[in-house]
Parts: sequence; C-alpha cells; structure tokens
Amino acid sequence: MRPVAILGVGMTKFGRSDLTLAGLMSEASVAALRDAKLGNRSVDAVVVANMGAARVNRQTAIASALVDRLNLFPAAAETVENGPASGASAVKVGVQAIAAGMADVVLVTGVERMRAVNNLEATDFVASLSHPEAEYVYGVTLPSLAGMFARLYMSRYGLTRRHLALVSIKNHNNAMRNPYAHIHQAITMEGILDAPEARVNNPPIAEPLHLYDCCPVSDGAASLVLASLDVAQQLNRPAVTIAGIGQATDTHAVQERSDPTELSAVRLAADQAFERAGLGPKEIDVAELHDAFTILEIAESEAAGFFPRGEGHLALEQGVTSLGGTLPINPSGGLKGRGHPVGATGVAQMVELTWQLRGEAGTRQVPDARNGFACNFGGFGNNVVATVLRSERRENA
Amino acid sequence: MPDQDVTGYKCRSCSTVAYPQHALCPTCGHDGFDPVSITGEGSVLTYTDLYALTLAYTQRYLRLAIVQLDSGLRATGHLLDPDPQLGKRIRTQIGVVREVDGRKIYGLQFVPV
Repeated sequence: MRPVAILGVGMTKFGRSDLTLAGLMSEASVAALRDAKLGNRSVDAVVVANMGAARVNRQTAIASALVDRLNLFPAAAETVENGPASGASAVKVGVQAIAAGMADVVLVTGVERMRAVNNLEATDFVASLSHPEAEYVYGVTLPSLAGMFARLYMSRYGLTRRHLALVSIKNHNNAMRNPYAHIHQAITMEGILDAPEARVNNPPIAEPLHLYDCCPVSDGAASLVLASLDVAQQLNRPAVTIAGIGQATDTHAVQERSDPTELSAVRLAADQAFERAGLGPKEIDVAELHDAFTILEIAESEAAGFFPRGEGHLALEQGVTSLGGTLPINPSGGLKGRGHPVGATGVAQMVELTWQLRGEAGTRQVPDARNGFACNFGGFGNNVVATVLRSERRENA
Repeated sequence: MPDQDVTGYKCRSCSTVAYPQHALCPTCGHDGFDPVSITGEGSVLTYTDLYALTLAYTQRYLRLAIVQLDSGLRATGHLLDPDPQLGKRIRTQIGVVREVDGRKIYGLQFVPV
C-alpha cells in the first residue's frame, strides 16, 4: 500500500455561520489547499463528508458543487454520508484512492450547516440515524441513548456527575485556546454543578446528562489535502502520515448489544488502526475523541485501549488527559468545545492532530507530540472510524 | 388489534427470536421467520428522562427505558413508572407512543409489576 501524507489542513471557525454550505466548504478547502502549497500539481479527486445537507439545506451532490466553486475540473468527486462518522469515512475513501494508485492528490472536506434549522429540527435530523422501529418511533434521540448509556455505565463503574463535569470543564478550557472553537466560555464546577443556580445554568437534557454534558449544534467545515508520500517528499513538505485507519460496526439498535455499555466498535476500530500503524495506545501522545456527550470521552478512552475498563474516570481525575498530562485528550476542545458540525467533525479531529504533530497548535500545543489518535463515532457507536497519525519529522542532531 | 402489536421474529430453523427485524437470523443465518409478540415481564436495564424532545412531543419530558425481558430479549420503550429504578420489575403493555399528523402510533410501554 502506498503511504499517504497530509499535505495541508484548514477549517472554518465552528459555530453559527452566515456562510452558505458551499461557502463553508470553500473557506476550509482554500485554507487547506494554500497550506498544502501544491504548486502546479492538480487535485485528482475531491471527497466531501456530509450527513444532512439533503434534509437540512435542501442541497444534494455537494461534492460536485465544491469542485465547481474551486474550479478543480475535471477532478473526480463524491460525497460520503456515514452519519456522524462521515468525516473520517471520507478521509478513508481518500486514503484508499491514493493507496490504490487511482489518485495522487485528494482534497477531503467535511461540512455541516445545521443551524439552518431550529434545535428541535436539528435534534430530529440526527435522531433519524437511530433504529426506525425499535428506537426512533419512541422519541429516542442521540442524547437519550447517551443518557441511558451513562446511567448504566455510572452505576457499574462508580462514576458520578462530577466526573462528567470534569470532562466538560477540561474541554471548555481547551477550547478557550482554540480560535476555531464554537464555544469560548470558561466554566467551573461551581457554576455547572455545585452552586444552587447550577440547576438553572445546567438543566437536564437526558438524565443523568445535563446541558454541559452535550455538544452544541454547530455549522462548520474542515479540510485535508492528502497526497502519496512520494508526492509529499517531492514537494518537500513536513509530512504527517496517516499511519493506520480502522473501522468497525455494531448493531443498529443499542438494545441488541450483548453488553450495552461496551463500545465494541470503538475497540475493534482502534485495534485495527493500531495494528495497521504498527503502534500501540502507549505510543500515542495526543488523542481527539468523539465527546458528543461527556460520558463518551471516558468510555472511548477505555475502549480504544488507553485505560483499563472502568478506570478512564480515574485517569481524568488525576489530570492524565488534561493539557500537561501524559495523554492529553481533546486539546482542541473536542466536540463539546470546538463544536460538532457532524460531517466536519472527523476531518476537524485530523486537522487538530496535524497541527499538534507539526508543532503548530499554539497555546494548546502538546509538547513533542509524535503520534496522534482520533476516534470518529457514528450512530450511537454502530459505525466507528479510528485513525492513527504519525509525524515523519526527523529529529535534529 | 394486530397492527398495534410489536413483533419479534422467530427463526424457523433455530427458534431464536430477534427484535428488531433482521433479514437473516443473527444466530444461524436462516431467512424464514414467524412473527411473535414482544410481551411479558422483565426488569429495567437502564432509563433516562429526556427533556430535549423532538417535534412529535409536547410534554415536559419523556421517560425512556431499555428493559431486559425474562424471555432473553431486550426492548426500548416508554417507562410509565413515577419511581424508576435500575433492576425494577416491569411488564410490557401496548399504548400510544407517538402521534404523527394526528395518527396514533402504538408501541411498547413498561409498567411496574
């Protein structure tokens, strides 16, 4: 397989945007193309990740629209829809095209423009990924699946709402250092849990999860320019490579899993990504996990192999996963702080890891980061893509 | 009324009941099934009070649960219990779980035994 490098990265600020869908895609893509410094090399293929434009923005075939905006004719183009894991799935499609020799340079852009509709409609749009007969018909939404997961997980492993709040506080604080983050608001344990007014500040969404346990609804786009490693070397670009990608699926309805607290698709996807990369969890310096809900950061940190089952909250408590800890998780702010434009998230995770591995992450830089890991979690864990990125920088003597 | 029943699918080859429906039996891969009602007693595996409701609901919150039925199946539905607890015994009943354009949709509700 031909090794694949990330030549350029870019993203829009996440949040509420006045840009159109094409405007969001273009802004992130142009930033990534400028960063890639392709010279006279053309883009062979464009892959767009998106979950809901057909419903939310009434626009389809948006990869063709992006090619048009960027005048990248006659590049091949397609849109990948894989729920909230669309972003990493699109990266996987780009990597496969290069690995198979069907393209040398691929632009991957993830986008979502969810604030085009109200929160009720946005929640319903995401809930449409749940099982139609066994879940959706009952009013099940993603927060409700996360709430039921959290209650069982907490009762089994002794977590409290305080542990969930620690995730939220950490990721809000990290997002304060990320100019692209949706949420720039420092929060405290007092404000979201301990003070009497926390009941008002932090109302229940799906017990035991409250507002500050849930990611916001965001607009945004993120882009990568991928190239074969030999093209990257010809262009003399500092290379971050995609060392391994893994993907696994699980039952559509959560009720059918033999242990509903086990994120087996995360475990299997991570194992596969590590195996393909020839690296293990202990060699990872920085991770971007899919904290659509605070409980998921803790559960994924265990399922991916960073901590033993049921002990992720202890590592969190000890500061292991904070900036300055031995395995910072979500230095970008994660989905909680950076925001979650669903189709863009998996790409944005890799944009952050690329900045981290190049040493360009500013005040949230993880020192000497060499290997990064991303978990892009689709459905409620029924389709997960895990990625290991590696810096190919040579040590200076 | 048959259209109000919630249906599981009993494999004609290995007798495993699957719910929800799969095209092939998750246990043996066979493709022939007989419908069976999802009914009986069990216990609450987990539950949540959902306050951020979708457009279909006007109440303040919805109490949703996944239950473990004594038959071995699990099901998701509405928990009608003012005092919910993990592991509490319940039985299934069929009731209105959603209305779409004025049309009532029936599904699983769980009540304390």
